[in-house]
Parts: sequence; structure tokens; C-alpha cells
Amino acid sequence: MSESTMIILYIIASIVVPLSFPFISWALGRWYQAGITSKLMENEKILGSILDDKMSVTTSNKVSMIGAEYSTLLHVSLCVGPSMGQMFFMWLKSIFGGRLHSYDVVLDFGRREALLRLKQQAAERGCTSIVNIRIETSVVSFAKTQKSKQASVEFLAFATGIR
Amino acid sequence: MQGQTISLLMSNVESIPGKNVVSSLGLVTGSTVRAKHIGKDIFAGLKNIVGGELKAYTELLNESRNEAIQRMMMDAHARGANGIVNIRFATSNVAAGASELFCYGTAVVVE
Repeated sequence: MSESTMIILYIIASIVVPLSFPFISWALGRWYQAGITSKLMENEKILGSILDDKMSVTTSNKVSMIGAEYSTLLHVSLCVGPSMGQMFFMWLKSIFGGRLHSYDVVLDFGRREALLRLKQQAAERGCTSIVNIRIETSVVSFAKTQKSKQASVEFLAFATGIR
Repeated sequence: MQGQTISLLMSNVESIPGKNVVSSLGLVTGSTVRAKHIGKDIFAGLKNIVGGELKAYTELLNESRNEAIQRMMMDAHARGANGIVNIRFATSNVAAGASELFCYGTAVVVE
């Protein structure tokens, strides 16, 4: 009796667990990403506002560089990716098209984090302004097989820091 | 690389701020192709359950980009330059499981 219930439980588990994996991964992904995004926003509040006061950050390369005594190249790269469950639901969503919210969140996080780290790097080296900021996006995949190919996006932010 | 440290003035604007460009020595490039070892791949795969930042990839890319910059600096140093201006980066997926990181700039002599 108990053996047959075990077998039934095993069969149910072997069906339910793989089916529920996308949902679990999706939920975990949402929870984890909400956590890192709120952490990022805190850091932006603490560091970003302090830096914005004393630092001029611009994408222009036409600034007066007279009186600059020190300049350095700053570069930050960051690799982000959505969770597997989110990717599965995005695949479903892409049948109908429309806005892919999960990707929005992940890419937005990556870009902001890259800019924040650029500012941190500039502050570490004692720069007072950052000019000519460029942000590049590229898809990187180091997966060995096509099957395990994970969509990870690399953000590269580079700029010149001036003191 | 090779224990020696080359210090060059680098910027991604048209000149080195605060310095005068005396002469241009042409294009210098540096590139590196990297693949990741399988252990890190598995960890990155586990990290993909929750998504977010993939630290293993970030580290690898930073490391390789620094190497590409080092190669560009050595190229410029060999030409007798003391600065590189207008630096640009490019990343491309050349093969499955490998990425090429490429950087290029103009070697200049500044004073």
C-alpha cells in the first residue's frame, strides 16, 4: 500500500517539478531582480547624488579642457541576463509580440548599474568630471552548446575622466 | 603584461585634456579572443535560474578587455607614442563559446 503511494507520489513529482520549474524560476527571478534594483536605487541615491553635485557628466566631447591636469580612460563592463523562467515566458509572449517587461527590467538595471560603476570608478581616481560617455550593448554567449545557449547581454560604458 | 608597466595617457576624446598633441603615429589596435572554462559556465548556468548580473561573465570580460588594452598600449609604446586618443571598443561573438574583445585608437605624441 505504502509502496504504491510512493510510486504515485514519485510519478506526480516527476511531472509537476519540471512543469513548475519555469514558474519557480520566473518567481525567483522577479524577487531577486526586485532586490538588486532596490539596492541599485539606494546606491544611486547615496552615491549618485553626491557625485552629481561635484561632477559634471556629459556625453559631449566638446568641453573646455584648459586647466585639466589629469585625464584617464574609464571603462566598465557588466553582464546581465534574465532568468530561465522569464526567458520561457518571454518566448511565449513573443508569439503575440508586445512589450517584454522582464527584459526591460533587466536591461534597465544593467545600464544604470554600469553608469553607476563608471561614476564610482571616476570618484576612486579623483576625477571631477566625466566627458564623452559611450554605452555599448552586445550579446555575449560563452555557452558551449546551442542547447544551453543563454541570452546574456553585455553593457560596456566608457568615458574620459578629467581632474 | 610580462611584468613591465607602461604608462600612457589615454582618452576617448580627440585630444588628451590639458596636453598638446604634437604628432600622430597612426592606428593602434589590441584584441583578444576568450572562451570560458566549463566550471564557470556551469555556475553561470545556475545563476541563470534567478537572472540578474552574471558575475563570472563580468569578471571574464573585464579581465580580457584589460588584456586587449595592454596589447594596444604595447603597440603604441613600440611606436614611441606616449598617448592614445579616440579609443573605441568593440565586442563580437566570433564563434560559439568565444568572444572577441577589440579596442583601437590613435597613437600620439603629446607634451
